[in-house]
Amino acid sequence: MASRWRWFHQLGSPKWFFEKSAKWLPWIWAGTLILLAVGLYYSLWASPIEARQGQGHTVRIMYIHVPAAALSMIGYVAMAIASTIGLVWKMKMAFAASRAIAPIGAAMTFIALFTGAVWGKPTWGTWWEWDARLTSELLLLFLYLGFIALHSSFAERAKADKAAAVLAIVGVINVPIIYFSVKWWNTLHQGYSVTQKGALAPEFQVPLFTMIGAFYLLFIGLVIMRLRVEILMREQKSRWVADWATEQKAQKRGV
Amino acid sequence: MTNKGLLASDLTISRAEHVLLEGAELELAPSTITYLYGENGSGKTSLMRCLSGLLQADSGKIYWNGQPITSLDSEYFQDLIFLAHALSMKAELTILENLSFYARLRGIKDPKSLIDDATSQLGIAQLQNRRFAELSAGQQHKVALCRLVIEPAKIWILDEPFVNLDKATRHWLALLIQEFAKQGGTVLFTSHHEIEELAIDQRIGIEH
Amino acid sequence: MFRALLKKELMVARRNWIGIVIPLFFFVMVVSLFPFGVSPEAPTLQKIAPGIIWVAALLATLLSLEQFYRSDYQDGSLEQTLLIAGPTQVASAKILAHWLLTGLPLVIVSPLLGILMQINHGFIDSNHTWVLMLSLLLGTPTLCLIGAVGMSLALAANRNGMLVAVLVLPLYVPILIFGTSTVTASLENFSYNGQLAILAALLMIALVMSPFAAGRALKISVS
Repeated sequence: MASRWRWFHQLGSPKWFFEKSAKWLPWIWAGTLILLAVGLYYSLWASPIEARQGQGHTVRIMYIHVPAAALSMIGYVAMAIASTIGLVWKMKMAFAASRAIAPIGAAMTFIALFTGAVWGKPTWGTWWEWDARLTSELLLLFLYLGFIALHSSFAERAKADKAAAVLAIVGVINVPIIYFSVKWWNTLHQGYSVTQKGALAPEFQVPLFTMIGAFYLLFIGLVIMRLRVEILMREQKSRWVADWATEQKAQKRGV
Repeated sequence: MTNKGLLASDLTISRAEHVLLEGAELELAPSTITYLYGENGSGKTSLMRCLSGLLQADSGKIYWNGQPITSLDSEYFQDLIFLAHALSMKAELTILENLSFYARLRGIKDPKSLIDDATSQLGIAQLQNRRFAELSAGQQHKVALCRLVIEPAKIWILDEPFVNLDKATRHWLALLIQEFAKQGGTVLFTSHHEIEELAIDQRIGIEH
Repeated sequence: MFRALLKKELMVARRNWIGIVIPLFFFVMVVSLFPFGVSPEAPTLQKIAPGIIWVAALLATLLSLEQFYRSDYQDGSLEQTLLIAGPTQVASAKILAHWLLTGLPLVIVSPLLGILMQINHGFIDSNHTWVLMLSLLLGTPTLCLIGAVGMSLALAANRNGMLVAVLVLPLYVPILIFGTSTVTASLENFSYNGQLAILAALLMIALVMSPFAAGRALKISVS
């Protein structure tokens, strides 16, 4: 128990995180590259095209679309969890983390929407269809944008952190409500569905899961990088940041 | 902790990434008048807002009669009147309506006689049915001060209460504060210049 | 205490009555634009009526938030009431007053809009107007509850009312979906009890959570 609390405490220390994460990043990027290389090879060349629906190569978009959509949701939940930790335990690092996740989650949502539209053009003959999934993603993007807009509207960071955290929590409670409403609304209007029913054939599973793994690592790596920038901005007046900056300058001169 | 009065320990307050107070200790005993001084922007208002429970300190605890002010059974907020820079009156309502509102919030069922008393002490009794927005700045300030007479309290935290007051009102307020302290009240106030009329028991300065 | 808070809201609103009427004007005017923009033909109007009326109600609620919360924040009375009465109670009183002064009037004038939008066209002694009112009666409190959270969060931000809209509109979508479909179901002679039940359920959820969340948000804003 004691060691776990220590770990929690250390994660709460910006300096500790900044130093440690520099060591984590190369490993995360290496993992991302490997998984991306394998995943893209399988999804773009080595996987069969789906003949059944006559979609041809467009099915390959799924390998980007599905991971991006998954992470857009997980990103929002992670943001809300970080916000809760920040509000309950008054941990500043958690606020920084939720702020760091927001733009990356929004980007993932945008990728999911964009690939959905690109997929929709040959499949439905139109860029946009009010499909339940796409509509939910659109609303999720709005929620992300609301968080970013609110956080950026305060002169004082402490207030911005807390207000945006409350919004993230309210948002995450609403996400399932929004999702089920949209789904219900969609069936009412005889909607289209992007997802096919039934289990995915194994030849699709390997590239898909590899790509999902790659996206997870990519997401974590990007969030850590954003978080490091966020920490530098927040701690710019502290001693260790000044030391770090002079060290960086010295290194640059040395090269 | 059985200390009476307000006690703040190891208080750290920062505003916009700027540390105003670090590890401050503060004790405001009953029957004492404390004068808080410091330059503009030194954090007087932040400290007062923090002691009033409006602003959250980065760290540290505040106790009222030995209990943390945020604990559920703390009576701190019933006992406290905090007068801020903003006068906290609705422009659309009359003096009487504004003051009755605050009195009712404090659980006073029929505040009319108390309001009559307070407003006549300050010479604004005849204006009771005028809207707050129609009053002059000086009169508006007096309305806010009426709350000190009407609402029951054991501690006053007053942010610049003497500013913009004419001599007679300043004198009146000084006497009121003195009388409140004599009856066991705790007072913390800020002011730009010394108030000669007031016997101050404790001085606290914020210096950087 | 709650009664004192509510009474103050109503008194301020009475002195400031034009501010209460403006959202209503807005509600009626926005809806009456659509016949010009779309078509004055009764079947077309009837088809789009539920959506138009509901979107207008949603926007009217949203636009009325600003004046309802802003002045208390600016004149300092918000922080005083928060100190004395506690955040959840203050938020509850504000939300109730806001609904009584904006939501309820919207429900009351909605039959007029039903007439303008030909909601009863082709039906003799129909009850569509009642269904419209009922859906608004169950939906507008939720709009006020959610709006209160968004507005309370945006109070201390250095932005105008547009920010609140961005925060709150995505959260309004479920209410819009079920509010509109209640009326549409009635127009198509389907059962609409399920939709009303969901509107009621959404109201319950908002009722449990919003006053607390809005209270927290107000507290953050005055800090």
